[in-house]
Amino acid sequence: MTLFQEYITYWSEDYSSILSYMYEHMIIAFTVIALSVLFTVPLAVFMTKVKNEPVKTVIFNIANVFQTIPTIALLAIVIPLLGIGFVPAVVALFLYSLLPLLRNTYAGMNSVDPEIIEAAKGMGFGTFQRLFKVELPVALPYVMSGIRVTSVYIISWTTLAALIGAGGLGDLVLAGIGYNDTFMIFTGTFLAIIIAVLLDIVLGKIEKVFAYS
Amino acid sequence: MMTFRKLFLVGFVLLLTIVAGCGDKTSADGGQVFTAGSAKNTDSKINVRLLKLLVEDRTDHEVDIVEDLPASPQIFAGFERDEFDFASLFSGEVYNNYFDDVEYSTDPDKTLKQAQKFFGEEYDIKWYDPLGYVNNYSIAAKRKFLQKNDVNTLVELGEYADSLTLGTDNAWIERDNDGYKGFKKTYGYEFDDARGMDVALMYEGIDNGELDVVTVYTVDPQLKEYDLKVLEDTKNFFPPYEASLVAANDVINEYDEIGDVFSHLLMWLAQKK
Repeated sequence: MTLFQEYITYWSEDYSSILSYMYEHMIIAFTVIALSVLFTVPLAVFMTKVKNEPVKTVIFNIANVFQTIPTIALLAIVIPLLGIGFVPAVVALFLYSLLPLLRNTYAGMNSVDPEIIEAAKGMGFGTFQRLFKVELPVALPYVMSGIRVTSVYIISWTTLAALIGAGGLGDLVLAGIGYNDTFMIFTGTFLAIIIAVLLDIVLGKIEKVFAYS
Repeated sequence: MMTFRKLFLVGFVLLLTIVAGCGDKTSADGGQVFTAGSAKNTDSKINVRLLKLLVEDRTDHEVDIVEDLPASPQIFAGFERDEFDFASLFSGEVYNNYFDDVEYSTDPDKTLKQAQKFFGEEYDIKWYDPLGYVNNYSIAAKRKFLQKNDVNTLVELGEYADSLTLGTDNAWIERDNDGYKGFKKTYGYEFDDARGMDVALMYEGIDNGELDVVTVYTVDPQLKEYDLKVLEDTKNFFPPYEASLVAANDVINEYDEIGDVFSHLLMWLAQKK
């Protein structure tokens, strides 16, 4: 019980800095998620339309390579190029988010039954009409699951941004490790989980809205 | 199907053998194998290696080293779980939020006595007398910048603080007594921006001009590598971090020869001073 009271005291004393870490964390994570969805989903859709296999292989391999670099190494590599703070953190995390989004969207688009596309063609749908009225809605569960998985990853990986001076909840975790403060470690971890769970719920709701339209 | 099951069994037995082999180890000469823990900093690594060499030279025992631990809490946790027998630690760590009733002081002797008493009782360890150097925490900047503006002390740095970006390890901003909050109170100024980050990346940050000042360990060899100069702490703000070797009490009590190695090492270092 006293532990609980101590924890309440910790929050009441430090809530402003805790919330600002959380705010930083959300800004970084949401920027990365927005950028990667806006970039990767159209790229994957475009790739399903390209007949040139080697090009696809190259793109997938590039995404694979980025995924393979150890996170801390990638962060260290971007420092000389982009410096420290927000921008390199966003760039590094963006590179990480490429693969899961790309794979899922690509698989989703490929899963659309060719006969449906043929039927849509037969009804006189143009390329973009087909894409937005038929293919994307059918592929939506795949695409959304890609977005949801990536979002959860990104929110967890954003804790590493603290290593290159971009702040976020990782700051709390690392400060707790260095200063022997379990409350800080716990709070940083717990809030990251909360953000991830809430975002997943919101994305689930969005998916439902679009699935029935 | 049968072959798969056999393969699985063989693998399982192998795994069991490996796990069983991880119990108490004996050294080549029939003595014990002790474990020493060290944090990431070079001087801690050197200290435990000195100890390892001397123990292996003078006794039948061997020492395994576990290094690059993130920070001292992980070393103390190792002592608590009987995973470590030796370590290299610093007196100022007694102010790192381990004890509620420890009295904050920047006096080296007082800090050392408190570390010996508090850590000794809490973790059942013997905290030896200092090896003879301190690895304080302090603030450093590029030598060129300091010379150009004729800045030598932290007080003089205050004049430029509102245009400087500080890089520091993530814990310093949150520390109570000897952290940024305390620093602002003691020196009466704050930097334009303070960013927590990985210590190794801090040096890269100041090298390519992203950062202007960094918090450093005063014996870090990278100070030389990147041509940085530690600013004088005239207000005695940073607590003393005297390096000491530490050993678990049960090891010292059970093996007299280990105690002899420690006193020999300390005597030898005292003569070198």
